[in-house]
Amino acid sequence: MAGGPSKALLAELATRPGRDTLASTATKGAFIAVSLLFLAALLFAPLVMVFATALSKGVLPYLQSFQDADTVAAIRLTLVTAAIVVPLNTVFGIAAAWAIAKFEFRGKSVLITLIDLPIAVSPVIAGLIYVLLFGIQGWFGLWLQEHNFSIIFALPGIVIATLFVTLPYVARELIPLMQQLGNDEEEAAITLGAGGLMTFFRVTLPKIRWGLVYGVILCNARAMGEFGAVSVVSGHIRGLTTTMPLHVEILYNEYNFVGAFAVASLLTLLAVLTLVIKTLVEWRTGYRKR
Amino acid sequence: MSITLDQVTKRYEGSTVVNDVSLEVGEGEFFVLLGPSGSGKSTLLRAIAGLTGVDHGRIALHNQDVTHLSARERGVGLVFQNYALFRHMTVADNIEFALRVRRMRRAERIARRKELLRLVALEGMDDRLPTQLSGGQQQRVAVARALAHKPQVLLLDEPFGALDAKIREELRRTIRQVQRELKITTVLVTHDQEEAFALADRIGVMNLGRLLETGRPDELYARPATRFVATFLGAANLLLARQTPQGIHFGAMPVNARLAERLDGGRSHEVVAVLRPEEIELAPTRDTLKTNYIAQGVVEETIFTGALERMRVRLDHGSTGAQLAATDGNAGASIIEVTRTQHEHRTFPVSLGQAVAIGVRRIHVLPTPLSSYTAWAPDAAAAARLAEHPFLAELAARMKTRIACRPEPALDNPIDSDVQLDNISGVAVIEAHPEAIDRIEWLLHNGAGEVMVLPPLAGAPHRVLIHWADDSARRSTLAVAASLLRHVTAEAVYLGILPQNVSDTQRPMGVRSLLDARSEAQAVHGLDMRTELRFGVAAEELRRQLEDAPEQMLILGISDLDALHEGYGPLFAGATRHAMMVVYRPAGEAAGQQLIGEERLAMSES
Repeated sequence: MAGGPSKALLAELATRPGRDTLASTATKGAFIAVSLLFLAALLFAPLVMVFATALSKGVLPYLQSFQDADTVAAIRLTLVTAAIVVPLNTVFGIAAAWAIAKFEFRGKSVLITLIDLPIAVSPVIAGLIYVLLFGIQGWFGLWLQEHNFSIIFALPGIVIATLFVTLPYVARELIPLMQQLGNDEEEAAITLGAGGLMTFFRVTLPKIRWGLVYGVILCNARAMGEFGAVSVVSGHIRGLTTTMPLHVEILYNEYNFVGAFAVASLLTLLAVLTLVIKTLVEWRTGYRKR
Repeated sequence: MSITLDQVTKRYEGSTVVNDVSLEVGEGEFFVLLGPSGSGKSTLLRAIAGLTGVDHGRIALHNQDVTHLSARERGVGLVFQNYALFRHMTVADNIEFALRVRRMRRAERIARRKELLRLVALEGMDDRLPTQLSGGQQQRVAVARALAHKPQVLLLDEPFGALDAKIREELRRTIRQVQRELKITTVLVTHDQEEAFALADRIGVMNLGRLLETGRPDELYARPATRFVATFLGAANLLLARQTPQGIHFGAMPVNARLAERLDGGRSHEVVAVLRPEEIELAPTRDTLKTNYIAQGVVEETIFTGALERMRVRLDHGSTGAQLAATDGNAGASIIEVTRTQHEHRTFPVSLGQAVAIGVRRIHVLPTPLSSYTAWAPDAAAAARLAEHPFLAELAARMKTRIACRPEPALDNPIDSDVQLDNISGVAVIEAHPEAIDRIEWLLHNGAGEVMVLPPLAGAPHRVLIHWADDSARRSTLAVAASLLRHVTAEAVYLGILPQNVSDTQRPMGVRSLLDARSEAQAVHGLDMRTELRFGVAAEELRRQLEDAPEQMLILGISDLDALHEGYGPLFAGATRHAMMVVYRPAGEAAGQQLIGEERLAMSES
């Protein structure tokens, strides 16, 4: 429509009550200052420290620390774990979100609460549960040993623990989004003659794609960075069952600061990358602003 | 027929959302389903599209049964209230979606898209995203998308709901134009009567899951058969009147003697008259009225609305005793609504508080046999208590009618009473009582047509059992049942009861009478009911059925008072949980019954 301020501007005006007085300007400044101070002390300083320590002996030792066989193994294990966990949790997240957003069923609220459980439970406890289940003294321990299959202190244990911890991320991202977007487009597609798969891939998936991307990124970041649960089930076997976070701890305890912080810097870069993509996604969709 | 619905019923979480709807929509017809929110109209539309399953009944499109076909296979065009455009696709992709699904060739697709965009006046908008369009434009795209695969039926679910008044009107015109051009059978759902009038070839009014009436807009407006349609389609004043051989009376005023021949068996009885606000004339005195005088009144409120002047006029009971069917809370307050044109306003300007004579140009009498309720009890306190019975109050509120109280000491000893009653109007309601049968008989004997026995615990029924003791009571019982069932969300079940020792040769006759009853209920009264055949003594069989579940009601038709007393005394004495209604028309009146359900009268200005 021609003329007049835009709808978005008017809406923003309506959400900011009060007038621009000296006191309100001062209050605004104070709030911003406090927030920045906290960010600087708790976020930026450690971030800088990671890279400063990693590069403290120059670029060459930094790069050399990645040639260490155990470090490479740790990086590989982390990537493998993420490559298994993230797709599985993506499928689970979409299925759970679909069920919760589209259908009414008995026990729906219980399911929503259960999905959030891994966030409430301490990761160490989560790891311990699996040790108790699958460890030598655990319920299935003997059976597993008889069949010559190890879960604890091996890749399957790490994967299971990581799966548990990262379970909520995709689903939590998608549930409110799908509830908000409703079911109409899918119904329209069906009346137009589209089948189930076509409706999903042509209508539903594009509709939720940015929310899904964001959920997957968060899930991935957590999967690569998880320490507590993995630490309990991995057994810290160097070069075999140490993931990147565990490897950082081992190197640090051996006073190999450059090596430890070099690996840490990779994880930090992952975090920064996650933030960048998150910002991009939010800018792209704008659904959070509404 | 393009769309045929046969007894479609949909239940959801225990309540009946769509209740036994049967409907036929003709080829190329524009049918509007009109009703308040929650009336089940959208659910019915979704059922036609195949997005909602039905629990009972049959749906056919172009004489092909599609009840068990999925929405995908039915291939109707559906337009949603909130457009439901694919937000990540351009206008072109949206419209071509159905064509891609059908693997149409690119060149044909483009040609079809261009044609559709021209049809909805959106040429050149192909590459826009839905978010770049206004609400009205988005809905046009949605219409084009729904038409792309050349569906044989177009369904629109409140398509103008989210739009401004101006754009609404423009889009309305477009849709009507498109519909005419393509001659496509269309069903539109709305709660806006103006929209329904503007678009429909035929309107169907829904309430509480039932399809109450269907008809051409002008027909429905001029001659509604139910209170709900009368008041939902435009404004209406419902007045209680008596119909006698002399004509229609509002209180003491006879209005027109020419209507005498249309009487219900010669019996004077209470009716509900519809007076449209625009059919009411105001004048300074009775003698200056050009039309039939009905009452005196005082102007309470006038509102200027541009073309029309809207007024509320308080009826003066003293002069004539004309009364509204519904009392709006405070006792005795009876306000009627009047609208006048600028011209009428200029010829007779009125001010607040002015006394005026009220005349009426046209009266329509509703063919409903249930006009009002009167709570009968031996003393005033009991009558007042009965009038506050929750089910009765709810029923009266839904029927927009009043509940009068009538204390009558003779009720305590009706057999020996020689009190003669006159002016029994509407349904007589009495409390449950061991000797209820005597009271019923006495009231019926004194001229009541319907008596309802209402135990304190009776609630709104989920099932209404209908039975008549002999066939001459059939028509009136069906009329009463149909009228009552329009106002409760219950399923109707007709119980045909044959004697236990009936011979095998007679059994087919029993089944046949059931089918006859069902088709008569459907054809004459628009009532869809189930039928069940039982064997045994009628009263006992009815009692057994009622004992099955608490939330039931019984409507019993009789034409012989002796038979009532002998056969059904214990049934009514045992009424503790169920409301029971007796419908009585003496056998001799049966001929006159023809007119119930059909009688429709109009008065011209004379």
